Amino acid sequence: MSAPGKTEPAGAIARARTGDADAWGELYREYAPAIFRFCRRALPTREDAEDATMDVFMKLKDKLVQYDQSRSFTAWLYKVAANHCWDVLRRRKTRQDKETEDVENVPLEHPDPNQLDKLIEQRTSEEVRRALEKLGARARMALVMRYYSDMSYDEIADALGVRRAFVGVVLLRARHELRQALGQGGALAAGGAS
Amino acid sequence: MKEKDDSLRDDALQHLDEMTCLLYIERQLDRAKAQEVSAHTQECGACRTLLRALERESRLLTRAMLEEEEALPARLAQFQERARESMQWIWTLAFGLAATGVYALYTGYIEPWQRQLEQAGFGGSNLLSLLIFQGAFWKGWPSMITLLEVLALVTLGGFAVAFLRKRVGRGSALAIVLAGFCAALALQPASALASETRKGESVGVAHDETINGDIFLFGDRVRVDGTVDGDVFLFGNDVNVDGHVKGDIFAFAKFLQVNGNVDGNIRAFTNTMTIRGTVAKNVLTFDDVVNLESAAKVGGSLTIFVQKLNLEGNLGRDLLIFTKHFTLSGKVGGGIRMKGDLLTINSNAQVDGPIHYEGNKEAEVAAGAKLASPVDYHKLEHKPKYMEAHYYVWQVIWAAAFVVFGLVLFQLMPSFSGEAVGNAERYGASFGLGVLVFFGVPIAACIACVTVVGLFVGISTLFVWYAALYYAQLVVGGLVGQWLMGRTRETWPLIGRMAVGIVIVRLSTLIPEVGGWIKFGLILWGLGAISLTLYNRFQPSIAANAPPAPYPPSPLPPNTTVGGMQPA
Repeated sequence: MSAPGKTEPAGAIARARTGDADAWGELYREYAPAIFRFCRRALPTREDAEDATMDVFMKLKDKLVQYDQSRSFTAWLYKVAANHCWDVLRRRKTRQDKETEDVENVPLEHPDPNQLDKLIEQRTSEEVRRALEKLGARARMALVMRYYSDMSYDEIADALGVRRAFVGVVLLRARHELRQALGQGGALAAGGAS
Repeated sequence: MKEKDDSLRDDALQHLDEMTCLLYIERQLDRAKAQEVSAHTQECGACRTLLRALERESRLLTRAMLEEEEALPARLAQFQERARESMQWIWTLAFGLAATGVYALYTGYIEPWQRQLEQAGFGGSNLLSLLIFQGAFWKGWPSMITLLEVLALVTLGGFAVAFLRKRVGRGSALAIVLAGFCAALALQPASALASETRKGESVGVAHDETINGDIFLFGDRVRVDGTVDGDVFLFGNDVNVDGHVKGDIFAFAKFLQVNGNVDGNIRAFTNTMTIRGTVAKNVLTFDDVVNLESAAKVGGSLTIFVQKLNLEGNLGRDLLIFTKHFTLSGKVGGGIRMKGDLLTINSNAQVDGPIHYEGNKEAEVAAGAKLASPVDYHKLEHKPKYMEAHYYVWQVIWAAAFVVFGLVLFQLMPSFSGEAVGNAERYGASFGLGVLVFFGVPIAACIACVTVVGLFVGISTLFVWYAALYYAQLVVGGLVGQWLMGRTRETWPLIGRMAVGIVIVRLSTLIPEVGGWIKFGLILWGLGAISLTLYNRFQPSIAANAPPAPYPPSPLPPNTTVGGMQPA
């Protein structure tokens, strides 16, 4: 992705919309690594991520005319990637159908902040990445959309096909799953009261 | 002192739940609620700590995800859109060629054969359906079972599975379809399935005995002296039919002599067959030597694959023959179509139809022979096949047919096919198992055929084995494609790789001298991979609460805890 703070190549985008092959190459070189990493985080294997990256750019070429230039290109690109990755997971039936669950079902509890602090302090990025791979499709997808590509709750709700009010629940549950995967079960992962 | 005050205040406060804290740090609360949370955290140390922990967790997540621990894969280094577009052309071409291939196959081979067989009195069925499907295994279906109809049924079944898969699981869908077929089978008239079996050193139907229904006879010496009002299935070393069979004869024997009357057809695999009696309908047979003696009468046609045929008797209709040497001294009521080495027509022979003979030597026709027309002779040409253009055209058509076959199989069994391609990378195991299955399965199937119960199983196994020989090449093609284009777990990309790989595999099998051996090796390899996948599928999976394996745990690396690495 364009690194945070980096300007988006508006000229290349405009030229690519007219079918300029060089501009396409420029966009691809600029964004392919970020999209590959996004797919790598969201999908189970490296091969899946490679295929998905190719597919996203194929779709991009068809959809570029629909892109609203007044909005962030990066955000729009991530939206395309997120939709594609979720479609891939959905086709494989790895998606967890929890759409019917309600916000009220979330445990409104207060975990032990010190335990959580300790857990975060002890874990490395590598361990977090490995733990992410163990999560369910929806949980991983939600975390990637929120904390990798900084997508809004509305965009996440739209991509996952859930109500906006449910996004927080999905994210919180995902964090619980992640903590469990990081090796800390029990009250902390389940959001148990202090 | 301050900490103590915080602690006392905390005890008195109702803590914020984690959901509210998360929404607060994510800036998802409305202004009033956010102010409420803010005010609470001024007072409550525990909630303040939780907010901080959640924020740190968010940062840890972002950092972990943004780190570039993997370089962009080489295949993504350049946008491969053009390659993808060209694949669409390959698909179009493959489908076009496949359609052409099917049409050419039908018009070039199937249709002429069908016509020939129809002329020879086999009424609309083709050879394969005659051999396998008609009567012998599905009694009561003879009027409907042709190969085409079987293919139609299989296709229908495939569509049904595909349709049901969207609604129920794959296993359930297959079960429903199979149950449907079984139900259809069960609806056949029960009487049609009635049969009797006799086994022994020397078995048969006695002279004064009458069997109402079909009979299966197994023995070293088998004799049918009585009357059978049904079909006769004969399996033996020395087989004699001197009685009266009102149905058909199916024989697997070393020596078969038919001295009696058969109202139906004879279909046989023998070493030596001699007919002295009367066969009202047709004879279809695979043998070493066949003698139709002067007393023999066959009312229908004779279709025969044999080393040597002596025809002294009377054949009512056409003769279709693949042989080394055919000597004709009797009468043929129809025409003759022969492919072989030598045709000898003696002076007392009579042929009422045309004679088409394709062979190595010109036909020897005695002066007194009564022929409706001169022998139409074509010398067999033995030009190297590599020199002929149509050989390459057919190779292209075959490659396309392979791609379509693979497309269907990989679509029907995506997971199995993916696993098989993966298992092909276990080279030693695949090849070893392939050798075992290649030679072992046909032997086992033939053994199964010896028993009545195993006949259907044996023949079916042989068919599955034969189909697996083609599937094996597709699996290897899939692997070769993955070598070139990278690994994948998606079905369509895997099919794409298979298509590319199978073209290369087919090309490698065209290399003069060694191509055949390459093909053989590839078949063994792929067959082993398929077998390995099947073997893995049938292995019981270990339950989550199963007791641990009786092996000592591997030592943990230093500075490791059960929960992960200790911080330095």
